[in-house]
Amino acid sequence: MSVTTETVNFYNKEATNAEEQIALLKQQILQLQQNIKSKTVDASLDPDLQTLFTENTKLKHRLTILQRAISNLSHSSPAPRDSTRMQNIQEILAEVFSQAIASACPDITDPPVVITLGNNPKFGDYQCNSAMQIANIYKQLGKKITPRDVANKILENVAPHEVIEKLGVAGPGFINVYVSKSFGLRNISTVFSHGVRAPEGTKSRIVVDFSSPNIAKEMHVGHLRSTIIGESICRLLEFLGHDVLRINHVGDWGTQFGMLIAHLQDKFPDYLERSPPISDLQSFYKESKKRFDEDEDFKKRAYSCVVKLQSFDPDYTKAWQLICDVSRKEFQVIYDRLDIKLIERGESFYQTRMLEVVKELEEGGYLEEDEGRKVMWGDKTASSIPFTVVKSDGGYTYDTSDLATIKQRIQEEKADWIIYVTDAGQATHFQILFQCARRTGLLTDKIRVDHVPFGVVLGEDKKKFKTRSGDTVRLIDLLEEGLKRALDKLKEKNRDEVLSPEELQRAQESVAYGCIKYSDLSHNRNHEYVFSFDKMLEDKGNTAVYLLYAYTRIKSIARTANFDEAKIEELANNHSISLDHEKEWKLTKVLLRFPEELIKVTKDLCLHHLCEYVYEIATTFTEFYDSCYCVEKDSSGDVVKVNHGRILLTEATARVMKKCFDILGLKPVSRM
Amino acid sequence: MVQSDDLTKSLVATLGLSEQKAKETLKNVPLTQTLSSILHEIREVVLPEGTGVLLYHFATKTKPQIAHHLPLIVKYIVTKKLDTTLRVEKAIEYALSHIKNINPPEFEQFCGVGVVVTPEEIENVVEQYLKEYKNELVEKRYKFNAGPLMQKVRGKLPWADGKAVKNEVDVQIFDLLGPKTEEDLAPAAKTDKKGKTTKATKPPVKEQVANGDVPALTILDVMKKVSFHLPGQNYKTDGYVVTENTERLLKEHLKVTGGKVQTRFPPEPNGILHIGHAKAININFGYAAANNGVCYLRYDDTNPEKEEEKFFVGIKDMVEWLGYKPYKITHSSDYFDQLYEWAVELIKAGLAYVCHQSADEMKGFNPQPSPWRDRPIKESLQLFQDMKNGKIDEGMATLRMKITLEEGKLDPVAYRVRFTPHHRTGDKWCIYPTYDYTHCLCDSIENITHSLCTKEFQSRRSSYYWLCNALKVYCPVQWEYGRLNFNYTVVSKRKIGKLIDEKIVKDWDDPRLFTLTALRRRGFPAEAINNFCAQLGVTGAQSTVDPSMLEAYVRDYLNNTAPRRMVVLEPLEITITNFPFDKPVEIPVPNFPNKPELGSHSVTFGPKIYIEKSDFLEDGNKNYRRLTKTQAVGLRHAGYVLSVTEIKKDSSGDVIGVVCTCTEVDKVATKPKAFIHWVSEPVEIEVRLYSTLFKHKNPEDPSEVPGGFLSDCNTDTLNVLKSKADKSLRVAKVFDKFQFERNGFFSVDPDTTEGKLIFNQTVGLKEDAGK
Repeated sequence: MSVTTETVNFYNKEATNAEEQIALLKQQILQLQQNIKSKTVDASLDPDLQTLFTENTKLKHRLTILQRAISNLSHSSPAPRDSTRMQNIQEILAEVFSQAIASACPDITDPPVVITLGNNPKFGDYQCNSAMQIANIYKQLGKKITPRDVANKILENVAPHEVIEKLGVAGPGFINVYVSKSFGLRNISTVFSHGVRAPEGTKSRIVVDFSSPNIAKEMHVGHLRSTIIGESICRLLEFLGHDVLRINHVGDWGTQFGMLIAHLQDKFPDYLERSPPISDLQSFYKESKKRFDEDEDFKKRAYSCVVKLQSFDPDYTKAWQLICDVSRKEFQVIYDRLDIKLIERGESFYQTRMLEVVKELEEGGYLEEDEGRKVMWGDKTASSIPFTVVKSDGGYTYDTSDLATIKQRIQEEKADWIIYVTDAGQATHFQILFQCARRTGLLTDKIRVDHVPFGVVLGEDKKKFKTRSGDTVRLIDLLEEGLKRALDKLKEKNRDEVLSPEELQRAQESVAYGCIKYSDLSHNRNHEYVFSFDKMLEDKGNTAVYLLYAYTRIKSIARTANFDEAKIEELANNHSISLDHEKEWKLTKVLLRFPEELIKVTKDLCLHHLCEYVYEIATTFTEFYDSCYCVEKDSSGDVVKVNHGRILLTEATARVMKKCFDILGLKPVSRM
Repeated sequence: MVQSDDLTKSLVATLGLSEQKAKETLKNVPLTQTLSSILHEIREVVLPEGTGVLLYHFATKTKPQIAHHLPLIVKYIVTKKLDTTLRVEKAIEYALSHIKNINPPEFEQFCGVGVVVTPEEIENVVEQYLKEYKNELVEKRYKFNAGPLMQKVRGKLPWADGKAVKNEVDVQIFDLLGPKTEEDLAPAAKTDKKGKTTKATKPPVKEQVANGDVPALTILDVMKKVSFHLPGQNYKTDGYVVTENTERLLKEHLKVTGGKVQTRFPPEPNGILHIGHAKAININFGYAAANNGVCYLRYDDTNPEKEEEKFFVGIKDMVEWLGYKPYKITHSSDYFDQLYEWAVELIKAGLAYVCHQSADEMKGFNPQPSPWRDRPIKESLQLFQDMKNGKIDEGMATLRMKITLEEGKLDPVAYRVRFTPHHRTGDKWCIYPTYDYTHCLCDSIENITHSLCTKEFQSRRSSYYWLCNALKVYCPVQWEYGRLNFNYTVVSKRKIGKLIDEKIVKDWDDPRLFTLTALRRRGFPAEAINNFCAQLGVTGAQSTVDPSMLEAYVRDYLNNTAPRRMVVLEPLEITITNFPFDKPVEIPVPNFPNKPELGSHSVTFGPKIYIEKSDFLEDGNKNYRRLTKTQAVGLRHAGYVLSVTEIKKDSSGDVIGVVCTCTEVDKVATKPKAFIHWVSEPVEIEVRLYSTLFKHKNPEDPSEVPGGFLSDCNTDTLNVLKSKADKSLRVAKVFDKFQFERNGFFSVDPDTTEGKLIFNQTVGLKEDAGK
């Protein structure tokens, strides 16, 4: 059998092909093995694989982004709380619930977050009452969910927080919050480690304009209210760490100075050499006013004096200075007695600035002609009235000077917040002032302005506060009477027998000035206020006398147990406040509200909130003291047992109260 | 319609337009608006003679940004204080540079209000200047160009009436020369004209090249003449939007730039630059250079996909190859943080919102407006943050701006979600800004004075201005120029990629392509490309040119710069039996025959030489002028003439060699009809000849090429030859360029290795007749 060459060739070819195939396969296997070793796969080989690779890259990328977002969130939200001061529990709860509500109701934008103080301890210390409102919103959106279901959903979303002991849903949908005792203990203990400190906040530059009497006129009860309220607002804001500028915007400029100077020149021709002995500036004013009204020549001379004064003629300036000084001295007596601090910056300060502001308003096109006057509208649409910036005779008005003043306060003083404390009658004036300042772009939304108005002072007859003869009551006389009444009260209680004369005098002043201030502050300032020494000096109810007594009593407890300041410090280091008794915890919870009570006052600048709070401390303390012995004595009066935790609670109470007194301007005495 | 009829009537009645013209005018909406305001201003006024025309002139020339000055200028026109078109134009000019306040005395002085030029004054001035030209005048007679003279007079008397000046000049010339003779009436001599036309075909480039000047000067020349706004005077540009912040922002802008011109070249770094980019590079860098300004190279790398290092490097290389140095190299991604902050601001201002329409829903001619357009700001802010934090899937949300584009496109997208790492920002972002959002803001950040871009972006101009103004940031001016397109090629990266994948071309820089790297490889000099761009200018018209046009510039440039060498592409061996010397001799050959001063190189002449196969034809014919059995041919530079004695053939009858004798050229009876190039003792080189890749002008046009661009490729567009070259070429370096005598221009290919020279054909000596 012969095999043809063709066949041989054919098989040879087959064999070569096969060999090539084998070589190729070998190479591929090798490649694959290497890939497995080095863990690299050439994705371009397989489109499916390529897609999966891309998908994988994307997922990895997304994962990194998500993880970073999560870690950013968890780092940023719970800012480490300051452990050197009491925390504002209500604020913390508002944050916690705001987050919980946002996650529980993602479909509602800007859901309401309502946290209130519980008024019945059975239903928790605080309540979140948002569920009812949210259910209502859902109803409007066409979803039917009961408030209770909403409340339960919120509850599920509340992140655990050290403040919260437990939560519960009650009634139609209230969420009751119980404050954690351990948190409360830590929080209240800061008053020993760091003193009673204000809650944290950003520091603002604040101008408070208060008191502001008129030169050459008597200060009256209206000024008294402004002075007392303004002083307390300043004290509160200073305590909160703000940079407060207390301004006494006295009325030291105007046409009345013409007649006063003219009269001065007639009565004391040698005024430039010798200080004129004006003892009663008020009658001096009345005399000159009388001449001004009746004597045409005098009137003319008075006007020329004004012109001279306004052109800063030295002799006239001197006369003006002398008159101001007399007034200033009189005012200072009252400020000293009431412990008021103010920087005098009267209307005269703004003379040149008024020229400027008028020029600017003119250039800005804000002024309109009106029967010879130049007026500026704050808001033309409303049934408003305009500011008279320039009178028809070219003179300026209060409106002008207030515009110059607010400009100075914003631009030169860099104020973030301006507060004017005046009677309620000026509300419209300030409304227009703020509108005008906004129109010119001077006042922006970054600057807070408040007119803090107060109601008129009435006599016990509910009529305008006057003396029996119908004259305005002089403030100095009023203070004198207060002192007398206070002494009477002390004597009535036979305190004069117990106290040394010095102690008695301190108690007398503390009670007299304290009650005048406290009675003013403890009433809602927006209302009319009946001035009554009898009521002020009552020793029951929410009065200065009651609080001062209460404080003295609290302070005396530690004293009885022979604890002085140093010993209390030591005690605070080794013991903690006792919170086991229900009344102990109740008192502590009242004290823990200190930060939120202060913040509440900054919102509406109504100091009666703070007065009510101190009063609540005092009454809660009484409750506590009635059921919890702090110091036990035997029949001979010797101390048998001291409950250290309660002594500390007593001390904490005293410290918080003292801080409130400071703000309210009360000066407690250790014995009375 | 009634209204427009009324308007037509009042235009005719008050401004004295013809009815036809009035009707045509009304088709121009902005002009009609201006005219209506003018008519409103002059209601119940009886127009003095001639003011109607001026008012119409004013209406056509005024700009919207000075609309508030319209009543004032109209008043001046009506009271005949602005009584010439020149004064009206000056008034517009003044108003444009004093947008806020017009100072009347200054304004009047600027416009020459009340300046009266007496005929005597004109006469005197014309007389004065005519003296200077007297000689020329007498010589040229009526062929004298009176233009420069007129200009001088106008310079002296800016407020003189043009017609009056012209008349006076004519009268005085007539006085001087007397009436026209017959010669004066004959047409101008032809010689002049010819000189002009020959010049016109060749660009002015040539002269400068010859003088050794930098050829880029030509683009400078072009860019110096362009009338763009001055830095800081953005508001003078048509269509620029002036807001209450503009003045302040421009002041701040000038403070930062010091009044410099700042431009940018902003390519996307996801491909390779092509010839179209060369125009953009030349315009941007050229405009900056022409005005002593600076130009940024900004990589517009907002799209994270497909950005590779090699593209970044490639782009920079090409810019530098064209001879430009970027002032700074920046990336759009440098500004991602700022861009994000601004997006948040935009949302807060209620000017952007998060939308959930799909890409398909937004596309098309009539897309539905987004149902999310009016969602609460707070919601958009939260969602945008969620987009940034990776909480939203790709395609499920975009940030859109509340502005409608010129073409009616609703609310362009500003940000979209992409879970793709970015070349430069890594895994920092998963939202990336779009062109519409990024471009103008990057321009603003870099204080670009002139944002120069191609015409397609005209429709984005309003969103460009809107966005800068919405964010109250400095707003550059966008200027558009026509895009440059090439016939017989494709430039899109996707299509070139396809050609590479299909192995039709080798790589991005295959000399058959029109990418800049390909052109460089093919041997196109950067200067020639720049000159070509300069010649295209900065007009708004889109230009589509044939490659031959660019090749003409290349040829022109290389003609003066590429030294000549003799290379035989397809060699045929010649043996000279009566070689007159004992051994090979060296012959000096000039590098540029026309310019011997540019040096020479020596060429070996031996008994064995090579000539082009095509230069020998065994049996010639009447039209064949080179070597045949019976016809002698001259050897260039050698000074000898070859005559065939014997023809060697292989078994299949192909000629493999020719045996010749040689005679000195002076001693032959009849001069040979042709001289051919040759080599002796040559180096072996590879030569790559290329032909046009596509058969049709527009390979991408489905009506021309229904089968798609891939189906339109010529086959065998690359022809590789084994050639023999003069050995002086042995030392040639990559990209060195030569003129191979009688064959064309060639450039050393980067594939060249030690011992293996490779040349690409750049262009032939003459335009290929095939195109």
